[in-house]
Amino acid sequence: MTGKLSIRRLSTGVPGLDNLLGGGLPEFSFNLIAGAPGSGKTTLAHQIMFSLANSGNRALFFTVLGEPPLKMLRYQQQFSFFDIDKLDECIRFVNLSANLLNGNFERVLSRIEEEVKVCQPRFVFVDSFRSLARSAKGEGEFALQRFIQQLGTQMTSWEATTFLIGEYVRPDSESSAIFTIADGILSLTQNLQRNSMVRKMQAVKMRGQAQATGFHTFRINEDGVQVYPRAIIQVGTATESEVKVSLEEKRASMGTPGLDEMLGGGLPVGYSLLVVGPSGSGKTILATEFLSEGIRRGEPGVIAAFEKSPSQLLSTKLSALVKTGKVGVIDTRTLDLSIDQVLHDMMKMIKRMQAKRVVIDSLSGFALALAPEFSEDFRGSLYRMIAELTDLGVTVIMTSELEDRYTDLRFSPFGSAFLADAIIVQRYIEIESQFKRVLSVVKVRGSDHSKNIRQFDITGEGIVLGEILSEYNGIMSGHPTAVFEQNDQ
Amino acid sequence: MTPPRHQIIKNLISPLSKRVADEAIESWERLADKLIFLIGEDGFDSVYARSIYLNQAAFPGLVANTPPPQADSRFAELRRNLDGQTLPKASEANCLLLITFTDTLAALIGEKLTNRILQMAWSMDISNSTTKENQE
Repeated sequence: MTGKLSIRRLSTGVPGLDNLLGGGLPEFSFNLIAGAPGSGKTTLAHQIMFSLANSGNRALFFTVLGEPPLKMLRYQQQFSFFDIDKLDECIRFVNLSANLLNGNFERVLSRIEEEVKVCQPRFVFVDSFRSLARSAKGEGEFALQRFIQQLGTQMTSWEATTFLIGEYVRPDSESSAIFTIADGILSLTQNLQRNSMVRKMQAVKMRGQAQATGFHTFRINEDGVQVYPRAIIQVGTATESEVKVSLEEKRASMGTPGLDEMLGGGLPVGYSLLVVGPSGSGKTILATEFLSEGIRRGEPGVIAAFEKSPSQLLSTKLSALVKTGKVGVIDTRTLDLSIDQVLHDMMKMIKRMQAKRVVIDSLSGFALALAPEFSEDFRGSLYRMIAELTDLGVTVIMTSELEDRYTDLRFSPFGSAFLADAIIVQRYIEIESQFKRVLSVVKVRGSDHSKNIRQFDITGEGIVLGEILSEYNGIMSGHPTAVFEQNDQ
Repeated sequence: MTPPRHQIIKNLISPLSKRVADEAIESWERLADKLIFLIGEDGFDSVYARSIYLNQAAFPGLVANTPPPQADSRFAELRRNLDGQTLPKASEANCLLLITFTDTLAALIGEKLTNRILQMAWSMDISNSTTKENQE
């Protein structure tokens, strides 16, 4: 035992927020929840309060000039976390407006102290702190700083974890005093881009612990705030592994006869495979067979289907797989998604179902479902997402639609090919005045694989691999010529 | 359907009471004490002023405080009004005023929270007592 103080961390009860804070909220900390009006500050504060407060750990919520308390109570009741039975016994609302109208910082401070002495709360909230700070503007910056410092010290002495809620958007002299003294700062923003609104949260500061850096998306629904911490690649998470995969390593069978051999013995477990091809070339069918094979082997799967709504689910076969309960479907109907939100839902389902196989069908649909703000950094986010998924040990198939141009060889419209551990390309070619489908394994990182281009057909049984087109040249140009024809010339 | 709360309010002051104004003001003060904590003085005063206004047709004697009341004299005008009426009329006026006030409050913050506040203010279990009365 070192004898050093170990700060207890409280679980906020807001899904995803504890992760963002670096493991929870430090007990007795003095925090600021900052953001523009409408960014969700009061909702977040209420959600934390209703989650943390109980008969042994009371909460005091001081309302100041900002949102009229009558309205606040009216609207906050719409959230499922608002528990009326906690009022009075566990949670007390105290309105400070009267003290502010004819008072000064000292008077407000003594009123707060008075209430704290009576209630002995474990949690104290002041909403809106900006109204409070501005009401005594005439007293000067020094008085404000002194007031905040006294309040912070007083609340900590009373062993209360405190939250000041304020409409601070950018640093100014008033906010800088609070920013300096606060132990923790949560900043909430909402950005509008091309008619799409995205809410983001940043743990600007969290004394004594390593918070997740950067901006993280969050949503507000009837259950309150849900944070989707941005996926951050952990040290040791390998997407760049160049270690040679041996045949003894576990491989996932694809469920398409002959394809495992082309991949060098199946797809290495924990790999991400990009299946790229034009519309109708059979990408989804290949992915469905992969999930179906997983079920046969007792490996549940998860699919995020962006191409169609779950009710129109792709194929009869995929619908049947979903009905078995062994394949979970991620709800992707909501637009303006963030990658982190999809990843969060996916991780949750993977863990719940103990899934081993994941399909994202398709990256093109995924990019469309995202809010414009996230589309811009699609590649970067995808990189983090694949790393998170493969770190779980699941094997991932992503499909990507690519228009056949026959003039160049591309693997993904998002420049995401290098993110994948393996790539299968499907194309249409013309042979003897007929459209034929061909596929080839382009890459399996660290593993030998077939270099052949094979014709295939789509039948009721799935993909049926056909002959190796060794007698043709220029297949990838879309207009192959028979080798003997060339020799004749 | 009439909210059970109405019956509680009707039974708040005994029909035989000789101290209608005193008892009425005491009920209001206890209610204000709890409610102002929650919704502030502005919130309380605005709902109270509207309740007075809505009942002026039936009880012309009821007049709102002008200017807005100070905390220590919030119900001074109501007391004067009630004192100037017969006991049954004063009791009826107060009852109507409380019903209007709590109805407005319930419309704004919900029946459950309103009952909870009344329960805290008047130290009675609104839902249980009401149920009993309804059953009777």
